[in-house]
Amino acid sequence: MRHTKFALALLTAAVLSACGGGSSEPGNQALKTKFTAQVAFGDSLSDVGTYQVGTVAALKGGKFNINGDNTAINPTLTGKNYTELLAAQLGLPAACAAYTGLDGSAAQGFSVPVVQHAGCYIYAQGGARVTNPVGIGNKLTGSALGALTVPVVTQVANHLSLSGGKFSGTELVIVMAGANDVFVNLSQLSTAATAAGTAAGNAAGATAFAQSLVSQLAAGATNPQTAAASIATALQTESARPGHTDASVVNAAATAAFLAGNNSAASPTVVAGYAATAQAAATAAGNAAGAKAGADYFAANAPKLVTTLAGVATELATLVKTQIVAKGANYVVINNMPDIGTTPFGRGQSADVQNLVNAMVKAFNDTLAAAVADESKIVYVDTFAASHDQATNPAPYGLTNVTTPACDLKAPTNPLASSLACNGGNLIAGDVSHYSFADEVHPTPFVQLLLARYVSKYLVQKGWL
Amino acid sequence: MKQGFKHVAALLAASAALALAGNASAQSAGQFTAKVGVGKITPKVESGDVTAPALPGSKVAIASDTQPVLIFAYGVTDNFSTELALGLPYKHKLYGDGAIAGTGQLGTVQSLPPSLFAQYRFFSPDTMVRPFVGAGATYAYFRKETGSGQLTSILNTGGPGTSFHIKNKVAPTIQAGVAVNINPKWFVDFTVTKTYLKTDTYYSTGQTQHVVLDPVGLVLAVGYKF
Repeated sequence: MRHTKFALALLTAAVLSACGGGSSEPGNQALKTKFTAQVAFGDSLSDVGTYQVGTVAALKGGKFNINGDNTAINPTLTGKNYTELLAAQLGLPAACAAYTGLDGSAAQGFSVPVVQHAGCYIYAQGGARVTNPVGIGNKLTGSALGALTVPVVTQVANHLSLSGGKFSGTELVIVMAGANDVFVNLSQLSTAATAAGTAAGNAAGATAFAQSLVSQLAAGATNPQTAAASIATALQTESARPGHTDASVVNAAATAAFLAGNNSAASPTVVAGYAATAQAAATAAGNAAGAKAGADYFAANAPKLVTTLAGVATELATLVKTQIVAKGANYVVINNMPDIGTTPFGRGQSADVQNLVNAMVKAFNDTLAAAVADESKIVYVDTFAASHDQATNPAPYGLTNVTTPACDLKAPTNPLASSLACNGGNLIAGDVSHYSFADEVHPTPFVQLLLARYVSKYLVQKGWL
Repeated sequence: MKQGFKHVAALLAASAALALAGNASAQSAGQFTAKVGVGKITPKVESGDVTAPALPGSKVAIASDTQPVLIFAYGVTDNFSTELALGLPYKHKLYGDGAIAGTGQLGTVQSLPPSLFAQYRFFSPDTMVRPFVGAGATYAYFRKETGSGQLTSILNTGGPGTSFHIKNKVAPTIQAGVAVNINPKWFVDFTVTKTYLKTDTYYSTGQTQHVVLDPVGLVLAVGYKF
């Protein structure tokens, strides 16, 4: 029979070559590892709906994405993030939030009891930091939302306590965190620098005002030199008196000038003119001094933040090694920190702040990469490289806009001013299907798919998929 | 399988002998030859990138394969001949390359490269060693393009299984070889071919990929003259 088959094959080949056709098949979709679960720790980029309760749910929000299945608008608008796509690829049940709830304003519908959901392993929560429990949107920051922001260290501890103190060894564990430590540290530095600038600006402004007013009033006096001294004394005395006002200070100075022989100081119009000139000088001096003091404060303290972020990376690496790998996990993915500098938030910052952000991200990623380099059970995914390349070389990724948020973030269209409340009904006008960003920092479902494919590539390369 | 080839060759020889009067001592005017052997196709791939949306530099590498071939030739004159090369489908493994290098085997495809050549054979028909050169066309026919879970993971994570289709093409081919006459009826020959083949792959995700295949073929065959 063999020769018959062979001859038939030859004949078939000849016939087929003449007529064309042939079948394409997806083929065997089985992956190399049969994972029993996918467990994710981290922040908003991996969160699948921790805050999809109360008013947030009523706003058709819940994920830091373009929420909901809006594939009717465009096939890319799936509302899914990469953990959901990976779960589907692994053949696992739909990814779901391990905990849901909010701890904010009851009046605004942001107070919803925290519930733990059995069989749900996405512990990642929007706003969460690595070890600090007060993240973005936490009530202790004054936020009405009351985001839980359970830090990654506690997320892992919670999973361990729910699963007998260990990992099964057959789950895919995903860790992606650190960005909120950048945002919070940056925000704190910004606040402190502004305060320093304001204080210095006020002091410089007051000095400039006094100098200008005194010299103008003294110029018309009998003896300008002695008059200047007496006017300055009067001004300082009145300034030091409890209950003084700007007007009373000017009046005291004008009175001293009149006594020193400047008759025009009796004219309210003239004095008002002097005061206006002095105020202009004060504003200019105050602004300049304030800006300088703010910048000086920023420059002096910025390096500390870079060091802080390196420390956060060390904390995260230690956590992964001692509380995840050492507790039995065999398949661990660490996504490093994406490029924050090219987000709409990053692009909106001054050059100095951008440089600082870039340095913080780099310090975090470099430290993290070095700390896990020799771990055979950890795959380190360079999401920074992909996100940076997407922002600077968008065409091959199919991205049409990498600078504008796809969500209309203005109130009342979006009461939270965040992708957390973004859905198919409050997008900006136009086709946003291939935009990079949903809001100032969070990606669209399309970029989440790119991220899922990117992580998958690493896992296939590692031989896990 | 080897037994099969011999059997087929014998059958062909027997049937052809009925139709033709075997006279000459080497391929000459009016003479048919048939040869069977093994062919190895090695694509010399210059892969384009998978089009958007893709990780830039996502390329493909294609492995070689070896399969039995059957080649017929007809002597138009003592020096000019035509040749038709057929064979079993080559089974090629496709690997990720470039930015997705290291992802391993992502798919397979079968190719059938039936080729038709015009040949010039040096020296006279009774010479023991006859080099030859040829030029012609290959119809590159692709079938049974088969994806994998890995391909789906990389191109459409969590989506439906990704398939692909490679466009069939007619491509120019040149060849050079040498036939060694063992006796008046039997000869062995060795042929090298080069095909200039560019084609496109169409993925079910809507992405495409331009690929220069430019395969080099090596054929070692035993032939019989009728």
